Order: sequence, then C-alpha cells, then structure tokens
Amino acid sequence: MTREELTQHIIGKFGGRVIHLEAGKYDPLFEIKAEDIVDICRQLKEDPYLSFDYLANLGGVDTTEHFEVVYNLASVFKKLRVDLKVILPYDRAEIDSVIEVWPSANWYERELWELYGINVRNHPNLTRFLLPDDWDQGYPMRKDWDAPDFIRMPER
Amino acid sequence: MGVIRKLPAMAERIPGGGIVLTSIEAILHQGQAKSLWYLLFGTACCAIELMCTGASRYDFDRLGMIFRPTPRQADLIIVAGTITKKMAPRLRRLYDQMAEPRYVIAMGGCTIKGGPFYYDSYAVEKGIDHIVPVDVYIPGCPPRPESLLEGCIHLQERIKKQKLSDWADGRK
Amino acid sequence: MTLRTEEFVVNMGPHHPSTHGVCRLLLTLDGERVKKVEPIIGYLHRAIEKICENRTYPQCIPILDRFEYVTAMSCNYVFSLAAERLAQIEVPERAEYLRVIMLELNRIASHLLFYGVTAMDIGAYTPFLYGLRERELIIDLFEMTCGQRLTYNYIRIGGVSQDIPPEFAPKCREAVRIIGEKMSDYEGLLNENPIWLARTKGIGILKPEDAIAWGVSGPVLRASGVKHDLRRDDPYSIYDRFDFDIPVQPNGDTFDRYIQRLDEIRESLKIITQALDGLEGLEDNTIKAKVSPNFKPPAGEVYARIENSRGELGVYVISDGSKKPLRVKARGGSYNQLQALPLMCHDVMVADLVAIFATLDVIMPEVDR
Repeated sequence: MTREELTQHIIGKFGGRVIHLEAGKYDPLFEIKAEDIVDICRQLKEDPYLSFDYLANLGGVDTTEHFEVVYNLASVFKKLRVDLKVILPYDRAEIDSVIEVWPSANWYERELWELYGINVRNHPNLTRFLLPDDWDQGYPMRKDWDAPDFIRMPER
Repeated sequence: MGVIRKLPAMAERIPGGGIVLTSIEAILHQGQAKSLWYLLFGTACCAIELMCTGASRYDFDRLGMIFRPTPRQADLIIVAGTITKKMAPRLRRLYDQMAEPRYVIAMGGCTIKGGPFYYDSYAVEKGIDHIVPVDVYIPGCPPRPESLLEGCIHLQERIKKQKLSDWADGRK
Repeated sequence: MTLRTEEFVVNMGPHHPSTHGVCRLLLTLDGERVKKVEPIIGYLHRAIEKICENRTYPQCIPILDRFEYVTAMSCNYVFSLAAERLAQIEVPERAEYLRVIMLELNRIASHLLFYGVTAMDIGAYTPFLYGLRERELIIDLFEMTCGQRLTYNYIRIGGVSQDIPPEFAPKCREAVRIIGEKMSDYEGLLNENPIWLARTKGIGILKPEDAIAWGVSGPVLRASGVKHDLRRDDPYSIYDRFDFDIPVQPNGDTFDRYIQRLDEIRESLKIITQALDGLEGLEDNTIKAKVSPNFKPPAGEVYARIENSRGELGVYVISDGSKKPLRVKARGGSYNQLQALPLMCHDVMVADLVAIFATLDVIMPEVDR
C-alpha cells in the first residue's frame, strides 16, 4: 500500500473523526480528538488490512500555545507507518491511556506525566522515575520552566 | 625492578646478612603506588574507554591496577561518566565505604565541570568536586586511554611524594 | 515439622558490576528464586531532549552522539536523516557509500563489545580480551577517518564531514579478513562449552507475540523468530543495493540471543565488502550536499527510524521554520527491552537473571536519555 492509498483508507474508515494534516513530511499524520484515541487505536490494530500492532514512539510536545501528544505507529507484517496527534489545551491536559491496546506504552506515558504534567487516566502506576525522588521544582520539559541553577546557553 | 635486583647483593654485604635498611616511607610508597586496585564505577561514555584501557592493547595490569567490584576492597575510585543529581548520594556513599588511604580520579569533562551538559540541563551535577575530594583531573570527552594511563602515573607520583607526618596529624 | 519461609526484597543497586551502566533492580526473592523484578531507572537522566531544544540543527549532532555512544554513527545518521527528510535534501552517492561502511563497522564494533561483556558477566574472562582486541582494529579505522575513538560527529546533514584517506580501503579489507577468520575462534570458545550451554539454553524465553506487543525490536526480536529488519522493511540510504541475509533463531532464549549477534557480524562483513567494491567505481567525489550554515528547514514533522545494533533507533523532529528544532524526541531499543524484562524472569534464579540481563544488551543512556 502506498502512502496515498493508506491515507485514503484511513479517511474512508474513520470519516470526520480524523483530520489529515499536511505537516507530516514523510508519513501520513492525522489529528484526533482526545476522547477518541483509545477507540481509534484499537481499530487500527485490529483492522486486517492495516494491523498496526507496534507502537514505536509516544511523546509530548509543548508548542507555546498548547500541549500535543504524538503517537508513532508501525505494522511489523504489513510494513506500514502512520502518525497520530492529539492536541490538548493547557487547562485541560488529560488523556486516556492506550496501555490496553499496546502494553509497551507503560513507561512512555509515565514519562509524559512526569516531565510535562499531562495526566494519564487508567494508568496502573503513575509514579516518579526519571527525576530524583525529592524533586519539587515542577515539570521541567515545559517551555516556561525555570530554576535557580538552570543555566541557559547564551545566544551568539 | 632495580630495587629487587640489587637487594640480594646488599643483603649479603651486611654482616649477618638478611637485613636491609630503608625508610618506612619508601616501602609504603612502593606498596601503595604500585598496586592500586580501582573500583569499577562507570556510568556513561567514559566507561567504555575505561574498559578499553583495561583490555589487551592498553593494559592496566602492567601498572598493578586490577578492578574490584566492591568498595571495601578498593583504594581508588575512577569516576568515569556523568553524575546526575539522582546518582550523587550513591557516589558519596560508595566513597564513604572505602577504607583509607583512598584516592579519587575524575575522568572526563562531565566530572570536571559538567562537560557538554553544563548548559540547559536540569538534572546533571556540574562537577564532582563538591561531592568527593578529587586528586587527579583528566580532561577529554572521552579521554584517550593514553591520557588515562598518564593520569594514573601522575597519581602514583603524587602518592610517592606523601609524607608519614601527613597521616600522623590526621590531615589526609 | 514444616519449614516457614517468607519472601524478602533485595536491591541490586545502581552500582553493580553486571548492570551495564546504572540500572537498579528491585528483586523479590523466595530463597534463590526470583518472584518479581522491578527495574528502576533515571540515574543517568541528562536531559538531552531539553538541551537539543536550545541548539541549532548542526549543534544537536554531537549532543545526540552521547545518547547511544557505543554506536554513535547511528545516532548521527538518524538525526541527519530526519533533517534531510524535512528539507528534502539529496545526498551525493559517495557520501551514501561512506555512511553505509561506517554504520556497518559500528555495528560490528558494538556486537564485539557485547560478546566480551556478556561472557564476562556469565563468568568467562578470556572472550573479553579477544573481543576488545578485534574492536581496536575497527576503532583505528574510525580514528584514521575522523580523529575520534568513541563519539564521532562524522555524519552531518547532507553528507559526511571528511573523505577517507587513501590507506583506508586496504586497511578496512584487512580488518574484515581478520575478523572473518577470528569468528571461528569466538565460536569455538563458547558455543559447545557445556558450562555455557547449561547457563544459557532454555533460560529467559520471550515469545514472538509478546515481543511485538511490548515493542521489542532488533536482535532480540529476531532471536524470537520474527523476521523483521528495518534495512529490508523500511529501507533507508542505499541498503536496497546490497545482498545480505536476515538470520533468525527459533527459540527466543538466552543462547539464541547470543548466537543471533554473531550471525549478524557475518552479514555486516558481507555488506562492507560490497560497499568497498561499489566505492571504487565512483567518479564523482562530492561528499556533502550544499547546506547553508544557517540551516532552517521548512515547518513540519518527521519520524526517522533506523536499524541499530540494539533495536530500532528513532528520532521524532518537529520544526517550526527557525534554526532550532521545536522538539526532538529520541527513542532507543533498550527502553522497550528493559520494560519487557519481567516477562522473561518468571521463577528463575538470580544467576539466570544476570545472564538474561546481559544478553538483552541494554545501554542505560538510551533508556534514561
């Protein structure tokens, strides 16, 4: 299946629930609402033509206007790739966990909570693991984070 | 090697044989400097260069240095790699568990002042000299095995310059 | 009279000779049998992703070198691939051949280090000296080309930074020949050794469907029987011009994960020989495309992934049109393999846990970033 056929197949399957974005420069990129994420991921995994059974990457982004959560999916046997994105506003940063679809999302979502402060519902173990145990200085990967001993590289 | 070869001849010329006169410091320095056993403490990239220095081409064993897995049997700790804020209390605890005399070599740029992680990093300890007292600093990112060997030889020279009176007053 | 036993918790601390870096394992033991394993990470979290947000694109490449330092060429390459896909840059052919040679040499060096360190964990000390002796031949080649032994900063956006000197090709062929001959030495030391077989056969089996669900990739996935290699399935660079096999192993236990990497060394030797032959026939000598010093790719997002010696190495780059990336999210194969460690450790002894952990070939900065 080529990239265009894959895009058309997904748009045909989900209709208005996905929005195709032009920003994806190499693989198709779709924007999804936060409520639909678990259902769409499960359908993408169980579709016999697509079978996206491998979650390659799950990351958070802080553009200075909102949060985004990006899912990079791959299919081991059909050799396909697709990216999904969910946009979350700053005051309602919550998302459901996709751990029942792919168990490998466990530590990725824990890191998302720890470094960005995005709450992940239905996660079995949201505890601190990358930062020191007595960390009390907030969520470091946010763009507006600062601390007394944080030294920024000077512009040249 | 020169001392050992000359020894039987000196021993025989003294009437009664078998007595050698030297200072206690010379014997202690030979013993300490020529057989430093180091603790295997490698966190990041410099640990690979430490392993290469202990392997076949650049050999640590010819300086008398063998790695030990536990701090109770080591008298040198080569801190190779970045130390983060989460790891710093563990490094201090390992240093406290070593028996005196104990020495510290700071290997690589990250242990001197933070290295490439000085700017923009929120979780890196920028230098280890406020955690443990350091004897020799070896710059480089990562330093070549020859630099590490030179650093160890510097440490041996430093040990040979120590005096017994330093220990007696408890200054070390 | 019944014997009362109870389980107790033992800490296999961040400083341990066989935890390959700084990983802490909390073991719940019943006698010598392991009932539960919980890996605790974060002792090497250096905030590489936050640093990359305040550096220009060419400045990110030496920072990402430290992300996976045993195969630093792959880290350079994956970021350059992402930047080239964003800006639609065409890389000259000589640069592609040089990149393939460097990537495969780096893969062999990493597997030789794995061979030495794994054997030392399980108790054999001689393979460590043998493996590192051959690795020095490859490191000499890298030092001849770019001057560094471990963190190279050689593969740049648009090509490579320097051309190879004339004595590189004969020395590389000589190194390939020597390593090919020594493979029989390596296998003769361990493959039929009864102690090695008793410690590794049938221990720590990972089933293929579990491996895919937990996102495991690379030699661990192929040792469980799944024939998936990104050089074939999602091809990048000029790998489609070379003729090489993809070995798989049937069982998925510790012994298979060890044999899998030795087989992969042989395939990489074939690729290097073909690439050196292809390099001789080229007339054009450009090694880098014209990229402006103020590199500003157009706004967009891309996820680039390559087959590394530890699994899938991927980088997700978001650009907003300025000279610094908005977000760089790096992902290494060891992260998923460490998550899947409890699956392989049902009711094993502590010594078996050390053997399983050694053959997973985990590097901690890839996990902690």
